[in-house]
Amino acid sequence: MRQSLLALLAKEPAHGYELKQALEAIFGSAYPSPNIGQIYVTLGRLEKDGHVRSVGVEQSNRPNKKVYYITAAGLETLQAWAEEPTEGPRVRDEFFMKLVLAPMTGLSDRMALINRQRRHYLSLMRELGELAERTDPGDRVALLLIEGAMLHLQADLDWLERCQEELP
Amino acid sequence: MTTTPAIRAVNLVKIYQSGRGLPVPAVRGVDLTVDPGEFVAIMGPSGSGKSTLIHLLGGLDTRTSGEIWLDGKRADTLSESGWAVLRREKIGFVFQFFNLVTNMTVADNVELPALLGGASPRHARERREYLLGELGLTDRAAAAPAQLSGGEQQRVALARALANQPRLLLADEPTGNLDSRNTRDVLKLLSRVHRQGQTIVLVTHDARVAGLADRVVSLLDGEIVDDGAIVRRRGPGGTAGDVVELRG
Amino acid sequence: MASRMIGSAEGRWIRADLRARRGQALLTVLTVAGIVTALIAAATLLEDGTNPWRGLFERGRGAHIWLHTKTVPDVSALKSLDGVTDVAGPYHSAPATLAADRGRKVPISLQEAPAALPAVARPLLSEGRWLDVRHPEGVVVERSFARAIGLRPGSPFTVTGLNGATHTLTVAGLAETGDQGFYPEWAPGLAWTLRQTLTAVEPAPGRTETVTGLRLADPGLTDLIVQRAVFTLHGQVQRVTTWREVRAAMELDNRLLGLLLGLFGVAGLVAAALALANVTGGRVLTQLRDIATLKSLGFTRGQITRMLLVEHGALGLAGIALGVVAAWLITAYALGESGVTPLSPGPHAAITVGTALVVLVAVWLPAWRGGRTPPLPAVPAAPPRGRLSRLARLALLVRLPPALVLGARDAFTRRTPALLTICGVAIPMMMITIGLGCWATLDDFIRHPEGVGQAAALAVRPADLTAEETRERVMADPDVVAAYPGAELDALVPGQTRTVRTRALGTSADPYPFPVAEGRMFRDRGEAVAGQGLLDLLGARVGDRVRITIGGTPLIVRIVGRVIEPEQDGEVLSLGIDSLAAKDAVPPRFYGLVLRPGAEPGEARARLQAQGLEVAQAVNPADRLAVIRVIIVALVVVLALIGLANLLTAGALGLRDHVLDLAVLKAMGLTPRQVMATLVTGTGLLAVVGVLLGGCVGALWSRALIDLEGRHSGVGAGIGRAPTPGMLAAAIGIAIGAALLVALIPARRAARARIPVTAR
Ligand SMILES: Nc1ncnc2c1ncn2[C@@H]1O[C@H](COP(=O)(O)OP(=O)(O)O)[C@@H](O)[C@H]1O
Ligand SMILES: [Mg+2]
Repeated sequence: MRQSLLALLAKEPAHGYELKQALEAIFGSAYPSPNIGQIYVTLGRLEKDGHVRSVGVEQSNRPNKKVYYITAAGLETLQAWAEEPTEGPRVRDEFFMKLVLAPMTGLSDRMALINRQRRHYLSLMRELGELAERTDPGDRVALLLIEGAMLHLQADLDWLERCQEELP
Repeated sequence: MTTTPAIRAVNLVKIYQSGRGLPVPAVRGVDLTVDPGEFVAIMGPSGSGKSTLIHLLGGLDTRTSGEIWLDGKRADTLSESGWAVLRREKIGFVFQFFNLVTNMTVADNVELPALLGGASPRHARERREYLLGELGLTDRAAAAPAQLSGGEQQRVALARALANQPRLLLADEPTGNLDSRNTRDVLKLLSRVHRQGQTIVLVTHDARVAGLADRVVSLLDGEIVDDGAIVRRRGPGGTAGDVVELRG
Repeated sequence: MASRMIGSAEGRWIRADLRARRGQALLTVLTVAGIVTALIAAATLLEDGTNPWRGLFERGRGAHIWLHTKTVPDVSALKSLDGVTDVAGPYHSAPATLAADRGRKVPISLQEAPAALPAVARPLLSEGRWLDVRHPEGVVVERSFARAIGLRPGSPFTVTGLNGATHTLTVAGLAETGDQGFYPEWAPGLAWTLRQTLTAVEPAPGRTETVTGLRLADPGLTDLIVQRAVFTLHGQVQRVTTWREVRAAMELDNRLLGLLLGLFGVAGLVAAALALANVTGGRVLTQLRDIATLKSLGFTRGQITRMLLVEHGALGLAGIALGVVAAWLITAYALGESGVTPLSPGPHAAITVGTALVVLVAVWLPAWRGGRTPPLPAVPAAPPRGRLSRLARLALLVRLPPALVLGARDAFTRRTPALLTICGVAIPMMMITIGLGCWATLDDFIRHPEGVGQAAALAVRPADLTAEETRERVMADPDVVAAYPGAELDALVPGQTRTVRTRALGTSADPYPFPVAEGRMFRDRGEAVAGQGLLDLLGARVGDRVRITIGGTPLIVRIVGRVIEPEQDGEVLSLGIDSLAAKDAVPPRFYGLVLRPGAEPGEARARLQAQGLEVAQAVNPADRLAVIRVIIVALVVVLALIGLANLLTAGALGLRDHVLDLAVLKAMGLTPRQVMATLVTGTGLLAVVGVLLGGCVGALWSRALIDLEGRHSGVGAGIGRAPTPGMLAAAIGIAIGAALLVALIPARRAARARIPVTAR
């Protein structure tokens, strides 16, 4: 979440609550709505690292609130983040462990494992599908996210199929 | 439960006699029951016998042994013509390559099954107008299939398969040749007719299509290795956050 | 009810398919129409040429029965007879003698005719004008008679009545009639005169005859009505002639022509059937995917077969209908002017029904195959990937350009269609070659008349002279090389109720140069040669003895050879005149004259006629067969069309198979020109193979086939000639050129077009 907060602050200074609202506005329902405490904790860490600094603003009938600014160091970090290639999703290594190891123990056979996993993926897919249907068609970001998730799932399913074919 | 299954296959076997005389078992003892209104996806690696199975269920190919019951009636003993008559009344078929009749217009393609089923030309036309309207293809009625995009062709093929309000819709990789946008159009259509109570058995590689199904049957080397419902873990509702996790 | 509804689904598909291939459908219709037209036109010409009676009789509304009575009969009684629609006459008729040139006397029959042409039994005026009361001396002479005597419109001539008075008349016009046979087979000759002229020539009423014609509704009732008429007229009737006798007198029984025509008809039909089967088969092949789709929708096997049968059969039947109409128009307008009557209903129906059956059978096979298509359209429509055929490898070995190699590979990738294409070209080509063989055979008849037994171009009858005088006069002519004494007699042969012609010509020591095809010429008395027809009739072979009776005298002859015999369907026995009994042989009835090579028979004839001799000129069988030339040309055109239609089908099919390949070829860097060359080679190679094959087989067969025809027509084997090498080379060259052109058209279009990378 650090980078997304830094990115928002690079656009304009803001206080914690404004950041939460901005995140919701951009990612909509596709994004798990972060709670305000989490945001303040993250901002505190960023301040400690010197990526942001805060200025207190007086308010008449309420306690002071802090407005956060991005620092030069923060901008640099953000720049580096944007430029570095993003790691791809990793293979479901836990399932692969099960697949390779479980038959040795005699606890479960591979076929059953794969079938169970497939059904699981399909039910995930079904949920994604239903979610996509419920999502407002204008909400591009959300729909793209869902589509991405679906494609990942499709890849996982294809990989399952390969496992089923290749492993005895 | 005493409802008659829409399809019941018992110990279905298909062995192809290849050119050199070596028998190729494509389907090896499949037992499958599909209830009315159910949506079953058949998955499996290529060469696992999916197409063969669905062709057997639609009578497009003859079984080597086993039984096929459609709507409680034995169908595997029917002659080729018997199957043809059964198909025209009770089964709609959709193929991967659309298979519209090339020299007929879209309208004619969709009207054909109704005419074949004995409907009057007027009734056939009304049904066609309704179906094409549903699919947003009204303005393409006079076009030749070759002038349509793949997705449009496949939607026309679906309309044609549904023209006679068949008890059973069989489809063999209906989205196998489509890009993701066209796939989405076809998917919407499938889920809609399914919601209206259409029984569907569909072969697919596409998890999105399979995700629509109530049940998935996995084939491997001509045998069913898995057959079970796709359960919904949560009730309806929830947001993307429930399924999408942004790292960071 | 259901079937009507299902019919509408089939109808929908048929309509759509026809709309999608209008050009091809039209070509099919035209091909079939061409064949039917050619067949009907050929049969019409044949019928007219060999049976002129029907045309004359129909056009002149002839009378089926002619009653000859001494006095005027009761016309109203005759008219009221059941089955009689019209009555011609009664007309007076009187015999007289015509004084021909050189004092020759020829009997003639003068018959009264009204000044206005009658509605029934109307003479058909062919030259000059009809009778005119202002010119009572003008008479109209029957054409064949006038020809034989040498009368023309305007020529004066004298007739002598029975009372010995001589009258000078002039020829006003010439007319034909179906009411009496041609002169000299039907004698005496006929002239129509006005009543007053007739009375002038024969004033005595007792010596005239009255003739009355009856036209019937149903010619089949002739015998019955003759009986009734004779009964009605109470013994007044002296003589009756019927249309059957007239027809028999006119008919030219030409089996050779009939057989040749039959051969072409059958060949044309086979070629048409092949073309149709090819077109239908090709279409079905390109449609297998669609047909499978239809089956997956619930079309049954029977429905598909029926649908294809209806579609393609309907095209064929439409072609037949069009052909019948076209043939009707041709006979009515183009040939009508030359006096050809439409074909009689029997052969007409036979041709129509025959072609319809052939069409249905030809279409049925591919339709049936289409019906057996499995209902699985999933089978990808990829063309079979060609391994390099042996031919293509050979092409590579001899370093041919790549386009040719690829084309050669394509040509034989699909075996069955390749074979069909080759046959589709080879069969018409073979028939064309055989047609050329017929042509060459006719040319040979004309060039070498002695080869068909017509070494003697002229035959002279002594008329009033003695045989010796005649011989001297003809031998004095500079053009005459030899004169063979001859006689023609009818002989009874054992086991036959009818007689056969016996021709004595030349002597055993100096025989007439008969064209001996088998065995040898007669050398002794009691030896004879025979035509194939006679051998067949008697079941005899060369070397057999036969016993015949000539004029009551039995005669045993040994048949020592077979000759080419174009007359009497080959049922002629030829021997030396010294083999006959003296009463039949002396004096010779005529002399057969062999002219010096290069002499003009017409001129020699005129010279001899001027010396008071009766001279007949031999009719070359080729002249009688002239109509076959027209038929050959027409059939060659139709056959060529059929071949081209087959090629077009093959081209379209080949193109469809190679759409995918073409994209690859272009991507590999073949220029459009090379692509075109590839495609042209693909179809052209098959065409060339077909043309060469058809040409060779045709050339080899034409001789044997024509000889076979000759054998069956009684003329005998030995007349057949292969087409001349020049003719054959030209035909093959033209055919190959046309084939390549036809292959070029679709190839050009394909090479230019942008080709999609995927099939669908
Ligand atoms: N017509 C045929 N003749 C011979 N073998 C066939 C035929 N059709 C399919 N097969 C074989 O049967 C097996 C199953 O094929 P198919 O049902 O098409 O598999 P899928 O659709 O799952 O890819 C494959 O091994 C295939 O090679
Ligand atoms: Mg398949």
